[in-house]
Amino acid sequence: MSMAGAPRFSSSPWSPLVALAAFALPVIFVVVPLAIFLSYSFFSVDQGTIIHTLTLGNYVRFFTDPVFLPVFRNTVILCVSVAAICIVLAYPVAYFLTTLKGRWRYALLMLLLVPLLMSYVIKIYAVRSILGLNGFLNKALVALGILSEPSSLFVFNMNAILLTLTLLLIPFAILPIFLALERIPQVLLRASDDLGASPLQTFLRVTLPLSLPGVASAASFVFVLALGDFLTPQMVGGVSGFTFGRILYSQFGTAYNWPFGAALSVALALLVIGAILLGERFGRSRGAST
Amino acid sequence: MRLKKLFLSMVAAGLGVGLMASTALAENLRVLAWDGYADADWVKDFTAATGIGVDVVFIGSDDEIWAKIKGSEGQDFDVFAVNTAQLQRYIKADLVTPIDVDKLPNQKEVLPRFRDLTTVSGVTKDGKVYGIPFCFDSIGLIYNTDKVKPAPTSMSVLWDPAYKGKVLAYDNGEHNFSFTALTLGYKDPFNLTEEQMAAVKAKLVDLKRNVLSFYTTADEAQQIFQNNDVALIWANYGQQQVKALQKVGAHVAYVNPSEGALAWLDNWVISKGVHDKANAEKWINFVLSKKIGGELSERTGFGNTVVETGSAGSKDKLVWLNNVEDPLKRSDLWNEIKATP
Repeated sequence: MSMAGAPRFSSSPWSPLVALAAFALPVIFVVVPLAIFLSYSFFSVDQGTIIHTLTLGNYVRFFTDPVFLPVFRNTVILCVSVAAICIVLAYPVAYFLTTLKGRWRYALLMLLLVPLLMSYVIKIYAVRSILGLNGFLNKALVALGILSEPSSLFVFNMNAILLTLTLLLIPFAILPIFLALERIPQVLLRASDDLGASPLQTFLRVTLPLSLPGVASAASFVFVLALGDFLTPQMVGGVSGFTFGRILYSQFGTAYNWPFGAALSVALALLVIGAILLGERFGRSRGAST
Repeated sequence: MRLKKLFLSMVAAGLGVGLMASTALAENLRVLAWDGYADADWVKDFTAATGIGVDVVFIGSDDEIWAKIKGSEGQDFDVFAVNTAQLQRYIKADLVTPIDVDKLPNQKEVLPRFRDLTTVSGVTKDGKVYGIPFCFDSIGLIYNTDKVKPAPTSMSVLWDPAYKGKVLAYDNGEHNFSFTALTLGYKDPFNLTEEQMAAVKAKLVDLKRNVLSFYTTADEAQQIFQNNDVALIWANYGQQQVKALQKVGAHVAYVNPSEGALAWLDNWVISKGVHDKANAEKWINFVLSKKIGGELSERTGFGNTVVETGSAGSKDKLVWLNNVEDPLKRSDLWNEIKATP
């Protein structure tokens, strides 16, 4: 049936149309908007109206103004830290999941993914009431006698953003690592064992290298999601946690400087594309070597 | 306050459309207003008293009013409501008609600060009256009565090192420049010179070092207040914000600073394409009554121009919001301030 069906489908008079639609949709809904967006980054704004004359001014401003590059750098450092912490925390969890048998494995995995079903804003609100100076965390630490008075270490600063983003994004790190670990054939581990390797040796020389593609995609997922987030820094960052996303957001809201905002977005998009390519490449070369 | 209006007007817009459809053929008064400015019971009373039918369309943003009025060159509505900062734009574009104040007996009974319209900046041009003030609210200071003693009288308390890390400010460059300019004693906070701008910027960097966080919505400020040690809030949402905090048991009070509080003021305006100007004036006069003024404040929490409310005492100095010299520049400087370590 399927053998007969395939050629008949491709020779149908509709097939060129279907093919056209398959190409047209991504072009219309992805490529064209991106192109418009890119072209905006070469416009400028005067007295609240957009001037449609091409200029490199926005990019020059990004590189020369003392405000943007330092914030950009700090934001990248922040997001790399978030990705690193997420990986460190997610790896043991994912590893533990793969050691479970049958139904338990997926039940626990589902439980870990449940937070993704919750509204993102509600989670930030919840985290914020946990972190406040009179929040749950400080109250608990003081009540347990660990702190003598509430600490402002995690109140409206970069640390708070780091912690919140890690909490929000950790499911995105667990999943790819879990999938990579699960794909490792058990026979390889048994072979390693048979050849006299200790469990630690097996982990370091078989499991870990084979799971690195998962780690790479987890890291790039988390990094990219953290980089694009402006709401978390806005809501828990206070006055010292100023990030690139917040600058970007302000260009579209209060400033009404879409062209400059577009240029800043292009800078961010280039970084994101770079991160994804890096994660992809790293993941694939490792995967291919097996 | 605008967000709430937007939200409510989504619901109300449906009702407005329904009303319009049902009475489209009769020569009704066509009103375009924020939600809460033309409630159904007032409309009913107005029709009963004057025999004039009313079609109300509710709007959710300043841009929407502009789009509707400019889009029809003022032909689609007889009377509408805009704030003082927006009104000059309509006058310039020749979309509005001067109002004969003698036709509005109730205007003589309004609160003293609104009686002489030449003193209300933004509602007149070349000696002609274009807007009749109707609803307002000040942007004052909320203070925690347990922590701030004596009661503050000026926004300068926000810079007091005694409250370091206990101040909530609002995340908006435009307003922050204006109120800081007032605090520094500048006469026109909406048109700052280069030197004034630099001085305000330096002052705002100092403010930032005293601030716990910059908030954007009233809910957000309330949540931070409940979970942290907050003494002072720059109250962008005015009375609504105070009442919401008091409702959850916070010990807070509200004060308009002595150097002048920024305040928004919405006005009734008659469009260029008004069909029956006398009817439009009857409507404006009708909603300026003590009964409606009181109900307006009771229902929305905003101040009205007829009866005294918590928004402002009779001695409080209010500075009506106006267009600023360069919003883009203020916004860029605000980002620089936020990025300053």
